[in-house]
Amino acid sequence: MLENEATLEIQHLIRDFKPGDGDLLAALHRIQHHYGYIPKIAMRVVARQLRLSEARVYGAVTFYSEFRLIPPPRTLIGWCSGPACRINGGDNVRKILEAELGIAMGENTDGDRLGLHLAQCNGTCEHAPQVWVNGDVVGPLTSAETVRLVRDLKDRA
Amino acid sequence: MARYDELRAAADAAWQPVAEPRRPLFMVSINTSSISSGARATLDALRALGETHGFDVMQTGDTGLAFAEPVVRVVRPDGPAVLYGNVTAGKAEAFAALAARGIAKDHAIAIVDGPATDGVPAIGDLDWFKIQTRWIMRNCGEIDPDSIDHYIARDGYKTFVDCAQMDRDELISVVTGSTLRGHSGSFFSTGTKWKFLKDATAEPKFLVCNADEGDPGAWVNRVLMESDPHLILEGMLIAAYASGATYGWIYIRDEYPLAVERMTRAIEQCRERGILGEDALGTGVRYECEVVRGAGAYVCGDETGLISSINDSRGMPRIKPPFPAQQGVLEKPTNVNNVETYAAAATLLRIGADTYSTVGTEANRGTKLFTVSGATARTGCVEVPFGTTVNELLAAVGGIRNGRPFKALQQGGPLSGLLPGSVAGPLPLEPEPFRPLGAGMGGGGLVFLDDTSCVIDLNVMTAWFLEDESCGRCTTCRGANQRMLEIWKRTARGEAYERDLALLESLAQSMQYSNCFHGSLSPTIMRNTIAHFRDEYDAHAIEHRCPTKVCPELIVFRVVEQAPAVEQAADICPTDAIVREDGQWQVDDAKCIRCRACKDVAPDAISIQDRFAGEAPSPAVRRAAVAPLQVPIMERPL
Repeated sequence: MLENEATLEIQHLIRDFKPGDGDLLAALHRIQHHYGYIPKIAMRVVARQLRLSEARVYGAVTFYSEFRLIPPPRTLIGWCSGPACRINGGDNVRKILEAELGIAMGENTDGDRLGLHLAQCNGTCEHAPQVWVNGDVVGPLTSAETVRLVRDLKDRA
Repeated sequence: MARYDELRAAADAAWQPVAEPRRPLFMVSINTSSISSGARATLDALRALGETHGFDVMQTGDTGLAFAEPVVRVVRPDGPAVLYGNVTAGKAEAFAALAARGIAKDHAIAIVDGPATDGVPAIGDLDWFKIQTRWIMRNCGEIDPDSIDHYIARDGYKTFVDCAQMDRDELISVVTGSTLRGHSGSFFSTGTKWKFLKDATAEPKFLVCNADEGDPGAWVNRVLMESDPHLILEGMLIAAYASGATYGWIYIRDEYPLAVERMTRAIEQCRERGILGEDALGTGVRYECEVVRGAGAYVCGDETGLISSINDSRGMPRIKPPFPAQQGVLEKPTNVNNVETYAAAATLLRIGADTYSTVGTEANRGTKLFTVSGATARTGCVEVPFGTTVNELLAAVGGIRNGRPFKALQQGGPLSGLLPGSVAGPLPLEPEPFRPLGAGMGGGGLVFLDDTSCVIDLNVMTAWFLEDESCGRCTTCRGANQRMLEIWKRTARGEAYERDLALLESLAQSMQYSNCFHGSLSPTIMRNTIAHFRDEYDAHAIEHRCPTKVCPELIVFRVVEQAPAVEQAADICPTDAIVREDGQWQVDDAKCIRCRACKDVAPDAISIQDRFAGEAPSPAVRRAAVAPLQVPIMERPL
């Protein structure tokens, strides 16, 4: 691997992680926290630092749903897939988000302005059905409120 | 004890202003639930007001009253302490003016430390609290979770110091004798697990705290971590002494950032005070630990999946044996308990086995935390004795909302089951009564369904979740969950095959051979549904009809009234499916995605109808109802 500014920066970022010490998740979290996603080159740097194969690092990154391989959108809408949301109309919320934005879960709109993320229940079920706009819970949402919310987000994006 | 006494003296001094405040003290619940209701803004608003109005403000954890967040407790030197709810930032000023001097009635939930006053009930008289025995949750909402002093001042870490003077086998036998079993849903004897680790010969030995609470609809461990992080650390320290472990990992799911923050801070505080490290509080116990943040994988809740995840890998469970007590993290002997189990162990040892056994049932003494959500009047977290019935718990949280019937209970996450209200209602909350029903009690999540929910739709969701979260290692789990999802999807479309019930059972049987519980328990909800909701299955499969009008491919939306509201409905429709032809509004069925936005804005003008109303059911599918439930004959041998 050729050293360049990018690899040196990543190297510096994860310099305190050691091989054989259970540090992989922590290293990946730090990279995602810094860049907003896991750039391809970062997986190579992590593999070298922790003395793992690149395939193993890639396997882990793609195993976990919270690691992103594409840059985050400016506004990330997380859709809760939990049961309390579902029985209160959560699937209608999903259909509206996808129809209004013209994208599926895990995708970004053009120019990375808005993106959808399939999220898991975090137990704030008093707001079911809910979405998280850049981490902030919005809910409970009726279908009509969801349409208004997503149109408003589109206008502001 | 000398080092403990030193810490305790400092802690008592720090606790004094909370225990006996000189001026009104506003304790604002800051937890994931309250933050989602705007509690941080409430905290900021009250802090600003406190300076001018002469009261103090502090944060606290989670009282479990998710439905009433933001929750604020006000303690006054000259009056009763009062618990308030729904204190949003916008109402903070008016609220503070009243609550600092008397009782702000509009927000009052209960008097915490005295009899009913001015029409506000005493806390013990409220159904929500009357049913509870808050032993494990004793500090929840009472202390600042970021203050180790508050924890120590309320006898924190004293149990550990006392336990460290006991013989290790004796200590383990107290835990074993208490009937304490894993609160995660596995219900394996905690004392026995600790003994396995103690008896393991390899060194070093490790502890893992499973805080990967992935069951959707369960957040009991989040409440504990966000409200009383030191209780969990104390439980782990006791387990470390009992088993000889020297290092621990607390594996917290990514969805709980505040729990990560608070547990991490608690660990740092313990290091500063010599509670973690070479010689914990002078007891000779050497123990250190760290937080590992998960990254979104349900199957990491399985102990071997979790261990793989810590070991720099994908979180794929593996075959047992070897058991974690033989080969766990870094191939060393490891004990895995979940958050609530460590907390319950510390609680049990604090109050003593005799007191602990005064509540609960013969087989399951003590208490258990449950989170209640779905169609209930109130949502939140409660701690009740084992053996409390589902109906008793449901009544205490206000029953099903709007007085609707209790159709079903989805307890303990997607692997534990779905039971009709008539069957689940009388069940005592402990694992044994659920087993003969082909279900489990699970780890604390209770999702209630009313008669507006479709159990077939719930199966589609569950099957999707289980398929999505399968690690993929066992073909039985990966492949069968894919097939189950297909079957439930076509059932929800009204296109079930004649042999589907037999196919489902065949899949269920092969899934028993999966390595971990994710595979072997995946068919639970499906089997419960076939056993208890056969009518609803048949309505979908044979009549192509969704009785609750939820399943999108079995319903149509129609304009039944040419009212002005339909124009608004046309505006709100995300797919422009409401069109006007020859002056008449109608729904273009090909465009309609059945999202119900139109029904929200024009409830009377839009009607949801059965898509195949009046059409004769197909004869091929009709036979499905009478086809015997047997393993199917393979048409094409493999």
